[in-house]
Amino acid sequence: MPPPRACDDYLSEFKHCKSLWNRFHHYYTYGTSLACQQWKEDYYNCRAWEKRRDTEAKEALLRSERNRLAEQRKFPPVWKLRQDPPRDWHMPLNQGKPQDS
Amino acid sequence: MDQTKQEDYGYGLFPEKKARKFESFRLNLKCQGMLQIAMDTSPHAKLLFQAMKGSGCPVSKDRHFSCEDCDGTVSGGFDATVSQIVLCQNNIHQQSHMNRVVTHELIHAFDHCRAHVDWFDNFRHLACSEIRAASLSGDCSFSSEAARLNFGLKQHHQECVRGRALRSILAVRKIDTAEAEKIVDEVFDTCFNDHAPFGRIPHGAKDAKFAHRHYENRDRYYANL
Repeated sequence: MPPPRACDDYLSEFKHCKSLWNRFHHYYTYGTSLACQQWKEDYYNCRAWEKRRDTEAKEALLRSERNRLAEQRKFPPVWKLRQDPPRDWHMPLNQGKPQDS
Repeated sequence: MDQTKQEDYGYGLFPEKKARKFESFRLNLKCQGMLQIAMDTSPHAKLLFQAMKGSGCPVSKDRHFSCEDCDGTVSGGFDATVSQIVLCQNNIHQQSHMNRVVTHELIHAFDHCRAHVDWFDNFRHLACSEIRAASLSGDCSFSSEAARLNFGLKQHHQECVRGRALRSILAVRKIDTAEAEKIVDEVFDTCFNDHAPFGRIPHGAKDAKFAHRHYENRDRYYANL
């Protein structure tokens, strides 16, 4: 099983994270300073997983990614997600519209 | 005698009217041109097009966009009754502005596609989509705000997002400011932190490109978690 991302993706995320431009925009958005270290650790763990099939590195990387996802899902949603797209998305404009479910 | 006098259908009697028709036609062509450039070159727009397709709502330029003259200073809108994005050809004059408007409206379209958004009767839903669109489109980037002479620094992005979401709601619904503010506050944490489909707030083109890369590799990502 390969890592969730190509290892170079972690490295490029780390470099981008650390850049002055990005740090500035993070402060502008969140008012806090940005921790980039996790991307670097993820990169090393990714390489260890790929090269040596290091199971500890693999677990550490998976934990880190799952944390990232969990951070994004912390808040109760405002709306209900659809199972299917809206029926009238493709409908030509000069026809009547059905009741959208 | 002038042999080449052509039929002007009486428009010659109304020089201002003729000029207005021509101007509207010219603006329409310019709008279509800028839209195409946005579709081809804006990393934010390109990701949204792909995410829309992935959610079952592939976007067609001819069906889902319309360049029109609008009142006032509004730049665009999403008409959920016909699933169409309106671009205000008389109010968008620069490519960077077009890129932002296209991204902003595509975020509304994306929300319409992936969720049961009640645009007309549920102000929380409306506020949520406006918060997301203001935050993720670049409307509140440092450079956009600086161009409006709004110079703020720490967390200014959030202040801008709140303000623009509030103004968008007040512009389209009959509701009192205090009530609108309360609704924005109630949904702010959830909606400000909902970064779909970007996975992050794309502060600039590089963020948007990284977000696009991650989106394209999402099958691998979720399969290997």
